[in-house]
Amino acid sequence: MLGVTKAAGIATAWDRYKAQQPQCGFGSTGLCCRICLQGPCRIDPFGNGPQYGVCGADRDTIVARHLVRMMAAGTAAHSEHGRHIALALLHVGEHKLHDYAVHDDEKLHAVAARLGVATEGREQSDIIHELAEVTLGDYQNQDYDKPCHWISSSLPAPRLKKLSDLGLLPHNIDAMVAQSMSRTHMGCDAEPENLILGGLRVALADLNGEMLATELSDVLFGTPKPVASVANLGVLKRNAVNVAVNGHNPLLSEIICNVAADLHDEAVAAGAPEGINIVGVCCTGNELMMRHGVPLATNYLSQELPIATGALEAMIVDVQCVMPSLPRIAACFHTKIITTDNQNKITGATHIEFEEERASEIARQILRVAIDNFKRRDPKRIDIPDEKQEAIVGFSTEGIVAALATVDAADPLKPMVDNIVSGAIQGVVLFAGCNNAKIQQDHNYLTMAKSLAKRNVLVVATGCASGAFAKGGMMTSAATDQYCGEGLRGVLTAIGEAAGLGGPLPPVLHMGACVDNSRAVALVTALANKLGVDISDLPVVASAPEAMSEKAMAIGTWSVAIGLPTHLGTVPPVVGSDVVTGLITDAAKAQLGGYFIVEPDPEKAADSLFDAIQERRAGLGLSTAPRRPALSPTYRFAPSRPAPALLPS
Amino acid sequence: MAAESQARRENVIIYADPDRCMGCHSCEIACAVSHAEGHDLFSAVAARLPLQPRNHVVSVDGVTMPLQCRQCEDAPCTAVCPTGACRQTDGMVEIIGQHCIGCKLCAMVCPFGVITVKAEVAADGTALTNHGIAKKCDLCTDWRAETGAEETACVQSCPTKAIQLVDLDEYRKALREARARELVEATRHIRL
Ligand code: SF4
Ligand code: SF4
Ligand code: SF4
Ligand code: SF4
Repeated sequence: MLGVTKAAGIATAWDRYKAQQPQCGFGSTGLCCRICLQGPCRIDPFGNGPQYGVCGADRDTIVARHLVRMMAAGTAAHSEHGRHIALALLHVGEHKLHDYAVHDDEKLHAVAARLGVATEGREQSDIIHELAEVTLGDYQNQDYDKPCHWISSSLPAPRLKKLSDLGLLPHNIDAMVAQSMSRTHMGCDAEPENLILGGLRVALADLNGEMLATELSDVLFGTPKPVASVANLGVLKRNAVNVAVNGHNPLLSEIICNVAADLHDEAVAAGAPEGINIVGVCCTGNELMMRHGVPLATNYLSQELPIATGALEAMIVDVQCVMPSLPRIAACFHTKIITTDNQNKITGATHIEFEEERASEIARQILRVAIDNFKRRDPKRIDIPDEKQEAIVGFSTEGIVAALATVDAADPLKPMVDNIVSGAIQGVVLFAGCNNAKIQQDHNYLTMAKSLAKRNVLVVATGCASGAFAKGGMMTSAATDQYCGEGLRGVLTAIGEAAGLGGPLPPVLHMGACVDNSRAVALVTALANKLGVDISDLPVVASAPEAMSEKAMAIGTWSVAIGLPTHLGTVPPVVGSDVVTGLITDAAKAQLGGYFIVEPDPEKAADSLFDAIQERRAGLGLSTAPRRPALSPTYRFAPSRPAPALLPS
Repeated sequence: MAAESQARRENVIIYADPDRCMGCHSCEIACAVSHAEGHDLFSAVAARLPLQPRNHVVSVDGVTMPLQCRQCEDAPCTAVCPTGACRQTDGMVEIIGQHCIGCKLCAMVCPFGVITVKAEVAADGTALTNHGIAKKCDLCTDWRAETGAEETACVQSCPTKAIQLVDLDEYRKALREARARELVEATRHIRL
């Protein structure tokens, strides 16, 4: 595909990345401050030039403030998504939306029970109305001492206590975002320790937003169960009206899928014998893939390429991670880019405003634009690559527990716990996050997952990590035989067979979109509760080896806050401050159990994560793997002063 | 032959266009890192190396541009160097690190103020030496040999292409052609 764009002289993300080289050293190290109009101020990283901004901010203040702002932006993004879903649920409860309904009553009851919403003898609409109101309370509560409902009903007790003791439990998502912006304003919070504490708190608000977004989406659209799907550009069809949905929010894409069948005949009449072919891109793609097995065309970095097949009639986008270049690329082909969210428009795109009240009607209108556009296709320019990869997806926490229940119905988690104890499974790694043009697309994911699966580490994935593994063939039974160590292979085979999958579970379990990292939290919480320990005791680690977005910074930070060793494969803009670097690594480890590991080399990163798993196993008194010579880390940090603490202990 | 024609040429210089320079200091960072013995930016910063750029972005009277060694043909720095560390060589003025004693005479006589004599290793205060030797623009000779880069690190790093390596022969030729073009235009209709 890149050959096609190159021949046509079309610049893609990779060309734009090249044109940006070299990137600014001040920005890369976090030493450029643009917070007020006296700036930009830059701190000389080598100590020759200025060491303070005009206002007097030093390197630590500047780095910490900007980092916290990234976390706040990521939190705002997920939580806005969550608010959208919660409002939809509220309006379903008020009988205002006719195109939506509860698709998973069982989950509704489970969630309601968790949040203390009474269900006995109540109408479903009353339950969801109250559930939505309780949820929206997490955006409204003004009592600083009353933590958000979702997080405080979802994490293990010891973790909640720890977070509460450190003053880290958020009371209101919106207030946390506003407070982060306010404390990082010029002339406000300047102490790096205190700033990072604020960052941890806003990041935990992000977790709260993710939890509610995921769980309420399950209530409305169904909880994912294992389902077969396909991934990569070969999912586009020559004889169909191809429509890609790109972005994050399932509210529109679900309806698009629902009404596509109704318009089948119109598509056929327009000359497409196979009707309408909906494919996913990025996390909207993951949502649909998880719930309905809708094929995934690609993940973030290559989102421009489906257009270059010359066979894409429309790309419907909503929010987050949508490249503003799409209409420019589409202008070279016949594809129409359709924006649908009032707050997310792109110059050159067609905007069709989405309203939940008229969801089906608007979905039909959008699909008709695509059908109508089919005739503008230039058959000579159609070039759909053959690449297409089968993938078993849909491993929500409930999906995983159900698969485990086929082995032990009375105590589903027991087989997992037993195998972790015996060492057949050494631990669990969650791969999350994005693609980043700085890294060969999907390379770090595949390298690290193969390295860890071989060492019997169970891999779960969300977001664009999932896309990478689906395309890379890591979500098949065959991959288990090929890549897993003996212990893990045995377990996955036993469960897969008991669950009637006709083969082993895949080595990488697709847990959903990036907002669904909360599913992984639910899984580790269940494990921690089962063992009566904290998350920071479990042999569980996380990795965002190709992190890119501000959401990834928020996710990574709460992952640290809940106690997970968390790897980043891209260097975040913090290196300019050894104090901040120390806070999010060593100090976090000492006080939270979780900590960041920054390592661009995927082989070394896999080793570091494996070591972190071994450290946890040793802590629990479990058997550990023989030690191997440690590879030297790519970056060695030399602190200028003794490691600070987050809070005086 | 090549050496002979080289000998008759002036030393190469870095040309800076003040109209294009944004004052972003990228060239300074690139210069410091390209002389950091294999470190990249992140590892150099993480290890807290006190790296020195050999160029200096200067802002005066509303004009901003980097200054670095002009590779003078009759260089005062070479004239005063007591050890012969600072000397004319193939197409440039070089300072041989092993021979430099850090006496700062060259730094004092350089009319452009582009020699620094600070150490790039942290001194512990007890050593016999501060490891300080004279440093100035070396046209990235070693770095270019190692990386195969044609341009110098600062030229590569400049986002607005405000700086370039200039061969004076070519520079003059371009000037002559530009002026000749103007003269031809101006005198086309005049016959004396
Ligand atoms: S807040 Fe301080 S450091 Fe930041 S731009 Fe303003 S003066 Fe400069
Ligand atoms: S990199 Fe270019 S624009 Fe930036 S300070 Fe240097 S010469 Fe000026
Ligand atoms: S260091 Fe100064 S005096 Fe020596 S050659 Fe360079 S510009 Fe001239
Ligand atoms: S040519 Fe090389 S040594 Fe000279 S100023 Fe530029 S980067 Fe520094």
